[in-house]
Amino acid sequence: MRPWSLLLVVLVALPLVAGVATLPPHYAPDAPIHTHVGARYLERGVAETGMKNLVTAVLLNYRGFDTFIEVVVIFTALAAVLALPKGSAPMPKGSAPMPKGSAPMPKGSAPMPKGSAPMPKGSAPMPRGSGAIPKEAGAVRPREEEDPEVASDVPVSPVVRFVVRLLAPFMALFAVAMLFRGHITPGGGFQAAAVFAAVFIALGLVLGRARAARLVPVDWRPWLQGVAPLAFALIAWVGWRLTGSFLGYPIHDHTAQEAMTFVLEIGIALGGGVILARLFLEMEA
Amino acid sequence: MSDVFDIVMLTLLIATAVSVARARDLLAAVVIFSMYSLTMTLVWQHRGAPDVAMTEAAVGAGVTTVLFLITIARTTRREKP
Repeated sequence: MRPWSLLLVVLVALPLVAGVATLPPHYAPDAPIHTHVGARYLERGVAETGMKNLVTAVLLNYRGFDTFIEVVVIFTALAAVLALPKGSAPMPKGSAPMPKGSAPMPKGSAPMPKGSAPMPKGSAPMPRGSGAIPKEAGAVRPREEEDPEVASDVPVSPVVRFVVRLLAPFMALFAVAMLFRGHITPGGGFQAAAVFAAVFIALGLVLGRARAARLVPVDWRPWLQGVAPLAFALIAWVGWRLTGSFLGYPIHDHTAQEAMTFVLEIGIALGGGVILARLFLEMEA
Repeated sequence: MSDVFDIVMLTLLIATAVSVARARDLLAAVVIFSMYSLTMTLVWQHRGAPDVAMTEAAVGAGVTTVLFLITIARTTRREKP
């Protein structure tokens, strides 16, 4: 077994090393990435797209289709995760399947009626958003650990809790800044989405899942999860109406173009962030 | 100076990558992998790609680490021999 693995490693590594060895030196001005299509972006990007940040110009304009499909891929990944049957993985803490309404799979032996809300909401008749459940409310339900609103609180170090709570507003502010300044500085929708999700997950780990989950309104979640592809589709359609080409931008109408870019960035940030956060919630449940 | 930084960072990358592959303790592997992402962030920044560096820091070192940790918490910490 071992000699064969070694042989395989060598066989894979040799072409890779040979390929890397033939790469042009770092920062070489005549490297293909600087002379081929990149040079055109740098020379004419601002004039052709009317965007101030060339990275944004490439992402949303030159490579708009790629970004569109990329957003769809992220959305599909979440859909695939949600479609996984619950309770098939080995679960140390109780093997009961969780009362999720969203997974389109036959539930194992969950005795609860499936709610129509596609959210981690149990079917227990409690007012929405009442995360602070009194203890005796749990007695009504058959198994308390099935209720996703009850936080599975792991003891968190006070230092960690303090630091996270201290930093969370600044992280959120940083994400907002990246979103709104993304057209002139590094950053943009995807980065803002990742930082938003990081804030959410950090808070979720420290404060408990239930309190973090309440940050995203339950009724809006299906729309928020799909808002990135939806925003792209909307902007693509608007561009089609305005310019005659799918995902086109009216480069002469500066206001319209900025508005379209803005909607796209907000859609990416919201949709991406909610998708990452939902992945976290889904795994924790 | 720039070459020294690159050499140190790339050596660290290889070292962390090999350690992740060799680690039997999956928790240690996740932590080292997070360090790999952080090193990669510095490399991206050094190569003049701040956008990618930000994404790597937030997704690579932040979110995926948490997801891996949750997975370990729900499965097992030791790799099967």
